[in-house]
Amino acid sequence: MTHIAPLPKDAIVDPELRGLIAEAETLGVPDDLFPRILARAPEQAVPLMRALIMSHAQGNVDHGLKEIMRILLARFANDKYFASLRSAKARAMGLTEQRIDDGCFAYEDDAKGFSAAEKCALRYADLMFLDAGQLDKPFYDEMKKHWSEAQIMELGAFIAFHYGMQMFMRSLGAVPPA
Amino acid sequence: MSVNPDAVDAVFFNELRRHYSDDEIVELGVFIGFNLGYHTFFGTLKFYPMFSPDGRLVSQAESEKLYGAAPVSLGKAEAAE
Repeated sequence: MTHIAPLPKDAIVDPELRGLIAEAETLGVPDDLFPRILARAPEQAVPLMRALIMSHAQGNVDHGLKEIMRILLARFANDKYFASLRSAKARAMGLTEQRIDDGCFAYEDDAKGFSAAEKCALRYADLMFLDAGQLDKPFYDEMKKHWSEAQIMELGAFIAFHYGMQMFMRSLGAVPPA
Repeated sequence: MSVNPDAVDAVFFNELRRHYSDDEIVELGVFIGFNLGYHTFFGTLKFYPMFSPDGRLVSQAESEKLYGAAPVSLGKAEAAE
């Protein structure tokens, strides 16, 4: 039970929000708990849900890589709710639990097979809330060797937004679905 | 939520409820989460205000000279004048 109770699903009448919930349920991230809590702030719920789904499942960076980054962040945030969720789209693309664990805990290990670009992106997520001071000009120069500036903004905004929502869900005591 | 998330517990939420509705607490929580994430991200980008304290549109190089090696608030810049 979260500190703030989610609204019952049938109490959500906004068709746009209901559509986004259905879209998220198909993706698997988030399930209906997050938007049913968010629905208590209806003016924020639609844009936040849209940003959450768009930043994760759309854009110009590989979705499987962003799924690993999302789980890495959720584990760092100690948010058991988002850390437990998995993208059906990423799974269909071939992402395995082993690959997720390798990406979270051993991405710098050459034997794990992450490309230089993927290592850089995972380092970005790893360091953002661990030691942002290391995300300095040399780091961004290295990022630019592998990613366009548009992709770097996509990754940075994705990291910032998902981590923020993960910390919010952690604060509510959200737990993985049964 | 940022410095000591473990302190945001049931006792804390009970205190919050003395002042805010559950709906308002959700609004505050997502606002804090959003800002917690984006301010850290923006901090790594090292960008500076687009305008000088007197309202001129300035380049990032000039803005850095005006506001210092590290980003500071306009209030601090004004106080330093």
